[in-house]
Amino acid sequence: MKLLHLYHDIMNLYGDYANILALQRILGNSGEEVTVDRLSLSDTATLDDYDFIFIGSGTEKNQKVVLEDFQQYKDQLAAYIASGKPVLMTGNSFEMLGRSITDGDGKTYDGLGLYDFTVTEIRSKRYTTDIIATPCFSDQPLVGFINKSSMIRGVKTPMNTVTFGIGNNDDEMTEGVVDKHFYGTHITGPVLQKNPHFLIHIAELILGRKPADDHLAYEKKGYENTLQKLSERK
Amino acid sequence: MKKFFTILICKLLRFVGKLIGKGSSMPGQIALKLCPDILKRVTLPKHIIAITGSNGKTSTVEMIAHILTKNGKTVAWNREGSNQIEGVTTMVLSNATLGGKVKADILLIESDERYAKKTFSYIDATDYVITNLYRDQLTRNGHPEFVFDAIAESIHDDTRLILNADDPLVSVFGSGRDNVVWFGADELSSDEKELHSVYNDGAYCPVCKSPMTYTTHHYNHIGHYACTSCGYRRHDTDYTVTAVDLKEGWLELDGKYRISLALKSLYNIYNILAAYTVARLVGIDGKAIADDMNDYVLKNGRVINFRLGSRTGTLLTSKHENSISYDHSLRVACAYDDGCDVLIIVDAVSRKYFTSDVSWLWDIDFEMLDNENIHEIVLAGAYVNDLASRFSYTNIPQKKIKLFEDIAEAADYLNSERKETIYAITCFSDKEKFLSKVEEV
Repeated sequence: MKLLHLYHDIMNLYGDYANILALQRILGNSGEEVTVDRLSLSDTATLDDYDFIFIGSGTEKNQKVVLEDFQQYKDQLAAYIASGKPVLMTGNSFEMLGRSITDGDGKTYDGLGLYDFTVTEIRSKRYTTDIIATPCFSDQPLVGFINKSSMIRGVKTPMNTVTFGIGNNDDEMTEGVVDKHFYGTHITGPVLQKNPHFLIHIAELILGRKPADDHLAYEKKGYENTLQKLSERK
Repeated sequence: MKKFFTILICKLLRFVGKLIGKGSSMPGQIALKLCPDILKRVTLPKHIIAITGSNGKTSTVEMIAHILTKNGKTVAWNREGSNQIEGVTTMVLSNATLGGKVKADILLIESDERYAKKTFSYIDATDYVITNLYRDQLTRNGHPEFVFDAIAESIHDDTRLILNADDPLVSVFGSGRDNVVWFGADELSSDEKELHSVYNDGAYCPVCKSPMTYTTHHYNHIGHYACTSCGYRRHDTDYTVTAVDLKEGWLELDGKYRISLALKSLYNIYNILAAYTVARLVGIDGKAIADDMNDYVLKNGRVINFRLGSRTGTLLTSKHENSISYDHSLRVACAYDDGCDVLIIVDAVSRKYFTSDVSWLWDIDFEMLDNENIHEIVLAGAYVNDLASRFSYTNIPQKKIKLFEDIAEAADYLNSERKETIYAITCFSDKEKFLSKVEEV
């Protein structure tokens, strides 16, 4: 199994890197030999070489730098997603797949255009909140944290339905974007550690069978604790 | 008349508030309602020194006040640590005459970084110290570049900036300015050539986003950096830590003044250096400053020694949601050659904000506790399973780690015949829960 962590050293806010470690462990425990490639701006990847691709969240400035480099992967990534291979993009990384991103100064950058949504960043504004959201692939909600400055409009196939927190924009309680096994969510950080059922789901997509999950006792208890605390707050 | 009454009411509210143990924000808040531009109407001292940044503000301000007071200056400062505009207003008006004149040689203001613009839209600081920009309180601060933009809006053109040259994010504030004083550390015996921390916020140039290289890392992104493309690099320093010896516990300033450290750690060296820099600029003699700072123990309760049964320990107050603050505390424990046990508590993530977010645990370099000086690790609090998950991704042998959801049970467990000293590492939000189980000494 080959996993790709792209832009690992620049799209790396708040523990995003841990998602790859969680997958490495669960796949290893399931009997697979796993290698992880950590590539960034100066590298060129052949996406099809990988069984899974992950990109984490970054500052608004870093996202723009990465976006320019990321354009080279447009066709490769479209084909990769169309083939049904799993991709996870957390935080503002998935914003790059839309039509455009307009920054706080009003400057507009072309996205990869794989999806029809547009992103507008708001200067001096930060939307930070815990979140509970039910994903498209399970009745069991995801928990996590949103840390963004943008409104995203025009997502036709959102990934999550938000029950606590904020969605893609002020008016919609849907969050992220999904396409086959591409999951884009503004939930940041170690999403897969915090949501062991999401980890198991992704691992199953990579493996094509049920993964070993008997090593996730801490994560399962941590999830229950956070879900309970957030539900009390709701 | 409005000024007179506003000051009078603020003073009265502060007096009553102190009697009933209320915080220091409320009187200022009401004063600002009565007279929104009251800070513009009062007469401020000639010297106004402001301090902001992610970490070290309270400690630095306390040390500056200590040095200046010892050397015969009167200082008005926010010693309660209320650092948004309301707390600053309370402090300024409490130190003013009813006629509106602040009775002090120096006004010393610790300012919250996110909302500094508000305070400094009324007050024109003569000097402005910016300590550092770290990942801190993501629940309100987003990330360091977002805070950078917020601080930038609070800086006046005629203010002299006093900047940490070793922090590439902070140093950008000095670009294109003449009136900047730089402080920093030379290459130190405790430095790393290769960075060991979990992430590096100095990997890319904050100006042009090309890769940066470091000739030495003091810790995390703090060190001697240079951009590979645009020429942005660490500025030469005016006031400098020229050496440290963390085994013996001292640092040397400007090659001349040796200060012995109450805590043998990098924990406080930038705070000491920033305080020294400010005091020198105010005109205090270097030797006098060094004498005042020798073995200085902070009064702000960040470091507390305690007894638990027959055992001794030290609480190192760290900040949840702030990995660099944790890394500093972990380094103190790792450097303890006689061997120690470490207690880490995460029970309430934030003091002021509701959040269950623990992603910041993954940014802390817990791997360093895989060290022969660390004998046992006790993890405790409501988020003990998240801590346990994080630790399971280190090389620390699992048998060294004990888990307790309940903090009292963790304290009971630690109250044993073991000889090791205990380093308790946790946040303001959780420390009282542990201190109530031990005896402070």
